[in-house]
Amino acid sequence: MLTLSRFRGFVLPIALIMLWSALSHRDAAHSFIFVPLENVVASAREMFLNGELSRNWTASLIRTSSGFAIGSGIGIAVGSIMAISRFADRLINPLYQAVRQVPLMGFIPLISLWFGNGESSKLFIVSLAAFYPMVLNTYEGLINTEKKYLSVASVFKLGRWRTLRYVTLPSALPSIFTGLMQATAFAWLSSVGSEFFFNPGPGLGNMMLNAQAAFRMDAVLLSVIAIGVTGFGMNFLVQRASRVFLRWRSTR
Amino acid sequence: MSGGAMARLDDDKRSEPSHPGALAIKSLNKRYRMDGRILQVLQDIDLNILPGEFVSIVGRSGCGKSTLLRLIVGLEADYDGDILLDDQPIRSTSLDRGIVFQDHSLLPWMTVEQNIGFALLTLDLPESEKKRRVAEHIDLVNLSGFAKAYPRELSGGMAQRAAIARALVNEPKILLLDEPLGALDALTRIHLQRELQRIRTQNRSTMIMVTHDVEEAVYLGDRVVVMDANPGRIGRVVTVPLPHPRDRGSRAFQHIRDEILADLTGAHDTD
Ligand SMILES: Nc1ncnc2c1ncn2[C@@H]1O[C@H](COP(=O)(O)OP(=O)(O)OP(=O)(O)O)[C@@H](O)[C@H]1O
Ligand SMILES: [Mg+2]
Repeated sequence: MLTLSRFRGFVLPIALIMLWSALSHRDAAHSFIFVPLENVVASAREMFLNGELSRNWTASLIRTSSGFAIGSGIGIAVGSIMAISRFADRLINPLYQAVRQVPLMGFIPLISLWFGNGESSKLFIVSLAAFYPMVLNTYEGLINTEKKYLSVASVFKLGRWRTLRYVTLPSALPSIFTGLMQATAFAWLSSVGSEFFFNPGPGLGNMMLNAQAAFRMDAVLLSVIAIGVTGFGMNFLVQRASRVFLRWRSTR
Repeated sequence: MSGGAMARLDDDKRSEPSHPGALAIKSLNKRYRMDGRILQVLQDIDLNILPGEFVSIVGRSGCGKSTLLRLIVGLEADYDGDILLDDQPIRSTSLDRGIVFQDHSLLPWMTVEQNIGFALLTLDLPESEKKRRVAEHIDLVNLSGFAKAYPRELSGGMAQRAAIARALVNEPKILLLDEPLGALDALTRIHLQRELQRIRTQNRSTMIMVTHDVEEAVYLGDRVVVMDANPGRIGRVVTVPLPHPRDRGSRAFQHIRDEILADLTGAHDTD
């Protein structure tokens, strides 16, 4: 029973693959739109062997991780400062709330003006995508420490910094991990997405565009799969990490 | 949205000078403002507690017992009247005053061991001495084997015992206990009552304990304060002149217990 339910998540993908496969073998028109999976496997093999897959994949991944590190790092710092200092809160919060209303794509003209049309603009977009959720979740987590825990800190005379370290910060950790989870997802999406808006360079988004231009649906599909699987993997990693750090939390 | 929640933590870190621990509460009034309405929680409380005395507080739910303890421990500065510790007004918390909160308030991200060690964080003791004290107090409340457990893995009674250990470990002069034994089985309860009695004699500490168990109040208390509700005030103070260890079965004991019970149920009738 338990082992069966563990594999429940695979049922839908497998059904989808079978449906896809059935459609692709109906006639020539179908097999152009629904590329036969063996073609995808073949192109995966080819692009893996000639290094194209790993080159593009690495480029997207490096951009994502650097943007994630920059954006979430600054995000945690800004969120913490806002939570700790009322002055900073008053100063930054309105701006943050306003800027957040603009969709990331709305900044593209400005960003390309500032950073050009190359890799640095893409990196900026990714950092920004990771920055937003980190600020909000860090701030909310730190602000919403339960009063009773602050009382305990006060009873034992912990003082400001020890209270931050032993009470406020750990109590914010669940919220911070929610932020990290969102930041990873947004960073990955925007990393691939940004390639559609700026000059071509290595990356999975670009690989997809090239494949489309060359009418190679097998390579398009391969890109989609690579993007999906990688995003899934990153989410999985963060989730694992959060389970380790939050093992004190009651689950279920 | 504001950053205010964290601003109130910078109470002064010095503990008050060493003192015998006489507590004087004079015409204490406490009101809460709740959506425009004013709720009088404590009214004209007058109470003098001697150093080393054990005072039990009983009274029906909502009569302000926990509020009184919060005021004495120094968590709330907004009240009328005086709370004096050796003639000095209580302005903030102090390591000389410990408390076991009604809902235990263990920090969920810390193990039992860490929670108890938390009380020693600001003390200037060698790490080995801290370890020793923590282990000793884990034993005291019979939690050996659960040192590395997180609060969510504890039963209600175990969490209460961990909270008691945390309050005892830095040996405060005045210990406030808010229904600390409420969730315990009879056997553990009696064991911990004896331990409290022993610690109190050994450390010569002052203890104020809120309880719903009248027998417990009489067993431990030099005096039992019976509080009335709406607004919370002192109805009666009963002195328990029996020597320790007390015999719960003795006639004198039962007489005092029944008297207080009658008082409490009488308070119910007038409502
Ligand atoms: N922070 C607060 N804001 C507003 N009202 C409060 C607050 N804390 C307590 N009260 C009110 O004060 C009254 C007394 O509360 P308190 O917790 O002191 O009662 P208690 O005697 O400890 O009750 P119990 O035996 O159920 O623990 C209650 O009516 C409660 O609603
Ligand atoms: Mg209470």
